[in-house]
Amino acid sequence: MLNVTEADSGGYSERKIRRSHILKDLFYFSFALPAIAYVFILAIVPAGSAILFSFFKYDTHTLTLSNYYALPGIGIYGAIVDTAVVSIGALLIQLFFALFLASLMMKPFKGNKLFSLLVIIPFGVSTVVSAYVFSLIFQAFGGFANGFVMLFKPLFLALGLKGIATHGIDWFANKWSSLGVVMFSDFWKNTPLIALILYGGMSSLSPSMYEAAAVDGAGPLRRFFYITLPNIAPLMAVALIIRGVSEFNIFALPLVIIGYSPKLLNTLIYEYYPLAITRPWAYSASVVLLVIIMAFAAIVLYLGGAPKNGQ
Amino acid sequence: MASKAGPGTYIGAIILAIIFFIPLWVLILIAFEPVRFTFGRVYPSFLPLGFTLKNIITSITTPGLYLGSSLLRSLEVAFMVGGIAIFLSIFAGYGLSKLTARVSNKIIVLLFLINMMPGLIISIPVASEFDKVGLYNNIVGVALAQELVVLPLSVFIVLGGFRGLPKDLENQARVDGAPFFTSFFRIILPLNRIAIMVAFLLSWMTSWDEFTYAVIIDPIAPSNSTFPVTLYNYVSRDLALDAATFALVATVPVLILTGFLMKYLKGQYLSGGMVV
Repeated sequence: MLNVTEADSGGYSERKIRRSHILKDLFYFSFALPAIAYVFILAIVPAGSAILFSFFKYDTHTLTLSNYYALPGIGIYGAIVDTAVVSIGALLIQLFFALFLASLMMKPFKGNKLFSLLVIIPFGVSTVVSAYVFSLIFQAFGGFANGFVMLFKPLFLALGLKGIATHGIDWFANKWSSLGVVMFSDFWKNTPLIALILYGGMSSLSPSMYEAAAVDGAGPLRRFFYITLPNIAPLMAVALIIRGVSEFNIFALPLVIIGYSPKLLNTLIYEYYPLAITRPWAYSASVVLLVIIMAFAAIVLYLGGAPKNGQ
Repeated sequence: MASKAGPGTYIGAIILAIIFFIPLWVLILIAFEPVRFTFGRVYPSFLPLGFTLKNIITSITTPGLYLGSSLLRSLEVAFMVGGIAIFLSIFAGYGLSKLTARVSNKIIVLLFLINMMPGLIISIPVASEFDKVGLYNNIVGVALAQELVVLPLSVFIVLGGFRGLPKDLENQARVDGAPFFTSFFRIILPLNRIAIMVAFLLSWMTSWDEFTYAVIIDPIAPSNSTFPVTLYNYVSRDLALDAATFALVATVPVLILTGFLMKYLKGQYLSGGMVV
């Protein structure tokens, strides 16, 4: 193989050493080529062709912008707003509870092991399963959540909320409550992952920092805001990017729980892709989604500084 | 590190534990309770009121539900995805670990950026291309597509493992006369087995969960599909009880696997690699 000894054979001219370094780097780079070629062929090329198709008429194959002009008619603006609401809302809820969860996992209380095991459950439950379970728990009429609400019937009667007291809450009564159910399911499914990432960051912080702060009279809240938070901020930015991008890509959860009312970007694309006539609309809508995701990633990277990979 | 656990800690922990456990509990109730206690009631109770195995047996024995075959299909796809993932990422991870961090990080970032693209924008064109070469509605086709989701993370995990090995080990083996492949397969690879295992299991689990690529490239008609797509099909056909038992059967093994993986999940592996 290529190694430094090669350079020895022909004397120590600088050019030769540099050339052997380049050869060596190329040799090792070639190991990564299969993986790079893989994503190029199966991701870049298809995505490029989807972008291309979005500018063509489906039948005459002539260049056109009509696929984009058609989007407002199929509700793209509403879908963008709703996707943004769900994504950002779910992201904030997740980040908040993940911080809470991670700090709980750090505490040495009885049953800590069992607690960690219970909160990791959602990570092992697949998305479609959790979507389905939540559609059983939250129903327009009846269901487990309303069974729980019914336990407080006297309370609702006392508050004068007769509707809720007699037939519970219609969780899908309007767009916002439907989106709320989706957000809650998403919170359930994905919070443990963020909590584990943050927990990894928190447990690598040195205990002596906390001891010093405690000696100086800083309470738990102060220690959290002035020691924990600044120290794990970079990890939070990473979690924000990873989860944020997947939030915008949210698909299976809304499809199973709320179907197409209201439509999110991905369910909108999915609705229009099966028919050849409407497929270009699906392409143009997915280009819109791609642009939004790239913009989101760029903004977070710009605000948080590019994440330094590895060491 | 942090302060001692007060009563607030316990209350918070109990509430959160209940929230995270209840959906699984509901699934267990529906699968193992007689229907009159669950779907038969307007307001089903969270308490267990009865026990039966009838629901599970009915779901398994009803013809035309593809329960076993779709689980089998998911298994095949998941193992394929995991296998391809470690094959590609062992090579990529090893090669990248030999390059300077500046170069290898750029390549990793590139992989993760590609991973950010919406699944639908990729899968719809891929499905029509796969249709031409016979990979549409085919387990190899689904596995190849799902691989895109897991590849960046598994390359990063394996790369992290290789970076953690002392450089002298390989040099030492070579000085002792071991050829490249011997030192690679007998020393470097075995030492990195935990990272490789974690990469495999995470890929496996991601594939088991993956819905977007599967529903486009391997839809339910005309043959069966992977388990998430089949489950979605049950749900849209209003086969509520079958869907619940099916979901539970498919979930329990993965939960056990998660418990096993947990030790490794707490570490650096999960942060999408981008540990600062």
